[in-house]
Amino acid sequence: MVIMRAIWFVSQIAFFGLIASRMVAVEDYFRYYVGGLSVMTLYSAAIFIGFDIYEEAEHGVFEYLLSLPVTRRQLVLGRSIGGGLRAFIYVAPLMCIALYVIGIANPLNFLIALFSLFLFAFGVSGMSITLAVAIKSSDRFDILMGVLDALIVRLSTAMYPLSFVKEANPLYGWIANFNPVTYAAELFRWGAGIESLISFDNPLLPLLGIVMFFGFFMFVGIVLYDKSIEGGGWR
Amino acid sequence: MKRHIVYILENDFRNFFRYKWWLVGLISMNLADLFIMAIVYNRMLNPEIIQQIKSYFNFFAPGLTVTGLFASAFMIGREVNMEKRREVHQYLLSLPMTRFELAFGRVLSGGLRGMMYMSPLLLTCFAFVGLPTLTQFFIILCVLFFLAMGISGLSIAIAVSTRSIDKFVTARGLVYYLLFFCSSVFYPFSLIEQLGREGKFPLFLVQFARINPLSNASDLIRSFLLGTPSFSPEMIISVLVFSVVFTGLAAFAYIKLIERA
Repeated sequence: MVIMRAIWFVSQIAFFGLIASRMVAVEDYFRYYVGGLSVMTLYSAAIFIGFDIYEEAEHGVFEYLLSLPVTRRQLVLGRSIGGGLRAFIYVAPLMCIALYVIGIANPLNFLIALFSLFLFAFGVSGMSITLAVAIKSSDRFDILMGVLDALIVRLSTAMYPLSFVKEANPLYGWIANFNPVTYAAELFRWGAGIESLISFDNPLLPLLGIVMFFGFFMFVGIVLYDKSIEGGGWR
Repeated sequence: MKRHIVYILENDFRNFFRYKWWLVGLISMNLADLFIMAIVYNRMLNPEIIQQIKSYFNFFAPGLTVTGLFASAFMIGREVNMEKRREVHQYLLSLPMTRFELAFGRVLSGGLRGMMYMSPLLLTCFAFVGLPTLTQFFIILCVLFFLAMGISGLSIAIAVSTRSIDKFVTARGLVYYLLFFCSSVFYPFSLIEQLGREGKFPLFLVQFARINPLSNASDLIRSFLLGTPSFSPEMIISVLVFSVVFTGLAAFAYIKLIERA
């Protein structure tokens, strides 16, 4: 998976990013795109924890986890943070490449952005766990994640500035405005110093959005875990 | 001979529909690319490119058809690799048919599955971009069929020459992204040429993008539906050469390597 992601990431930078930056009338689009690409990669790495849940259910590891002397809340929290951290470890070398291309203007801003990306990764892992536990069917989960991935990334500012998304379709713009991928991408760019195309004046707003996203899926994940995990029923 | 190949086709099509959820995910991703990404990029184009391609949505729709064809025709390789790892190939080799029938049947079914998956994308392209004449439609179908056969052959050749799923997935990733991004599927070829002239893109990659069958198939559909780039016989020749080489190579590799395994 790491190699696949790395090949995808490098080819996106070396081919798509480079060539598409010539195609569009957006200043500094190459750096803008590389910033968004890092967040897209983090998102798809963090989502993977949900697939692990199905594998665990299939191999009977779930029963073992439920028998551990930890509360359900600790279990969900631990798995979300573990999934997020794992995604970060996968993506760290790729982010280093991205930062080499983009550069860092203000280290303090970047540390805040990095913190928000951690929360984002934990939130995405929490979302993946919540959906996996709620759906309980690997086929349905697979399709939902595919569709969600297609929509959540494309309806965000990971690939294009918000003003163009709004101009293309107000509904797309409205969704992108409330999309956690947008918040993460904007904060990453703000941290790296690509501020000219950022849609938020105050970086606290996207940070707040990410905290809410993380908190929501943590809460829903815990409630669902408590309610639906006992008694199996996995397909 | 025909009957044996039909059995292989039936088996592979049954397997294809086992991945229906995966296919739904893939098609939704393709449609999201067209109806979200292409529409937003439409607004971002620089004036020079607008003059050249008019609309990114129209430009991208044929490219998307070709990428859909590529992804679905490539799926046969994953199955062949899995059969090799799980030693199902021993069973296949024991079937009362010649090695050639088996190998050709696999390549053909990969290609036909690609054509089947691609059909709704091609229809979407016709519905939104424009209709070709009957002759053009026939040429498009023929070229896409040959492309699908070549892709299926390429994926089978990779599948039988890699021992583990990891190596197969890595090789597939390399081929996928090189063929996808170093082509005119997403952007006009003139941009790749321009970067090559400026020394920002290696010339061998510019050359690769020029002969890339995905570039040629996309440009062929564009030339018929949009009028740009203008039609050239090279577009057909490139796809035919790719198809003949990889169909032949896959059949040969499948027969030789599967027996050795």
